Amino acid sequence: MSGKQYLKNQLPVILINLLGMLALALFLIASDNPIQTVLFILAVWSIVLVLSLLAFYFSRKKYLNKLLNMTEQLEERYLLPEIMQVPERADEQVFYQIMKMAEKSMLERIGEVQRERREYKEYIEQWIHEVKTPITAMKLLCENNRSPFSREVLAELENINQYTEQALYYARSEHAEKDYSVREVNLCDVVHSAIADNKYLLRQSNMTIQIDDIETKVYTDEKWVRFILNQIIGNAIKYHAEQPILHFGATKTNDKIVLSISDNGIGIPKSDLPRIFEKGFTGQNGRTGKNSTGIGLYLCKRLCDQLGIGLTAYSENRGTTISLIFQMNDFIIGVQG
Amino acid sequence: MKEKILIIEDDFTIQTQLKTLLSGNGYEVFAVTDFSQTIEQLKEAAPHLVILDIKLPWNNGFEICSQIRTFSDIPIVFVTSSNTDMDELNSIMLGGDAFITKPYNPAILLAKIAALLKKAYRSPQTEIYMWKEATLHLESSMIEYKGQKAELTKNELKILYYLFKNAGKICSRNDIVDFLWDNQLYVDDNALSVNITRIRDKLAAIGLVDFIKTKHRQGYTL
Repeated sequence: MSGKQYLKNQLPVILINLLGMLALALFLIASDNPIQTVLFILAVWSIVLVLSLLAFYFSRKKYLNKLLNMTEQLEERYLLPEIMQVPERADEQVFYQIMKMAEKSMLERIGEVQRERREYKEYIEQWIHEVKTPITAMKLLCENNRSPFSREVLAELENINQYTEQALYYARSEHAEKDYSVREVNLCDVVHSAIADNKYLLRQSNMTIQIDDIETKVYTDEKWVRFILNQIIGNAIKYHAEQPILHFGATKTNDKIVLSISDNGIGIPKSDLPRIFEKGFTGQNGRTGKNSTGIGLYLCKRLCDQLGIGLTAYSENRGTTISLIFQMNDFIIGVQG
Repeated sequence: MKEKILIIEDDFTIQTQLKTLLSGNGYEVFAVTDFSQTIEQLKEAAPHLVILDIKLPWNNGFEICSQIRTFSDIPIVFVTSSNTDMDELNSIMLGGDAFITKPYNPAILLAKIAALLKKAYRSPQTEIYMWKEATLHLESSMIEYKGQKAELTKNELKILYYLFKNAGKICSRNDIVDFLWDNQLYVDDNALSVNITRIRDKLAAIGLVDFIKTKHRQGYTL
């Protein structure tokens, strides 16, 4: 509360007082009182006036500051009327009522938006499950009728599947905690199944696959890691160069296992590197013709954060290395004994 | 004896294509046609293994699974398009043996089925393939011809296995590479040629000359 503004608001009170003082002074002088008495009375009046104004100002300021602090500490500020005391002053009570009304309509709106969002999300998930049936049917049709043509279709189907998975995980990433179960996962198996998911795309781009000995166990959710690997492999295919190579390697230190996926593709410019995990960031590679949405790596990062997996990217001129860092905490090592 | 597999899947295309895929891999295949009579049809077919979709007309897959479990222990493979943890957990709790999400890789589905059948019925069949006096021993990774033996590497064994399985037919290079990839051996076209040459050398050393024939622009054949 600013003092100046307060003073301005109190102007009528001050003016009435001054008018009263003037009238009293005129009356006292007219009724032959000595000038000292008049001045004395006026001085006392002024002091009382100033003191009362000050006292009033500070008590209001204290009260309002308290309210302000309370609001600032609230996470959902529109809920303030729920916790504040009902004010005693008549005009403040009106404001309180107005706030209550505003809060109610806000809550209704939020509820409506949340419901709409949930319904939309459910619809998307349902749609994805439904679209998987024709994808499966097409896949089986192609596998049962092998030809160069069906191979091309199978590769495109893998693309379609990637996109639908991306949509599914985007819808789910908000509430990842509701859909994950951490189990002992063989890193080797996840890598092989991720490669199998992209088999025809990898073969189409003549990718050479190199896998080091990655027979090691981590504790995580398999389908999420598989999705993340799929995105990374998808990128390696999309941004491949001549004689493409995709290399999987794992290193194990005391408390962590690092799975590195390296390619010899076109790489990521140094200036883009810090921002590749941002939503919607496409960078230089995205602008130079490759169809990039800026969603894949963003989703990877988001899922990794929720799963407690570290995710880093490294690229120098050519080729990119993406590393997944799985923590082995004391508890797990203790259980393993 | 052919093993019988029952498909419980309401999508007609998937049903027929699965039938084609499985019968092409040496199984006898039935499919449920009337979903209000699933259990009756299952009892009639008496299959060795069931492939079960979750979303079905009348009863869902979970209900069918628990009904089957009241009278039979046959392996049940769940196939579904939903891959939530709840569904997976449910399928295991109700006695499902495997949980595969759509769109599945046919090779993985076949491998799962073979593994489950082997576990459930323990067919004493030894893994030996024969063609024109040559014998392929899968477990010891050897090829035998008139008493002479040659050891094979992983890649060579898988290539020969594929050729033996399709003996007499022409196997295209692409199909062989596909098969190797399904077995987690990521061999490219050049490496395949190298491997074939090495196999031919090994075969020649035990007296099998011109065992693998090249069909120009088509592939290889035994």
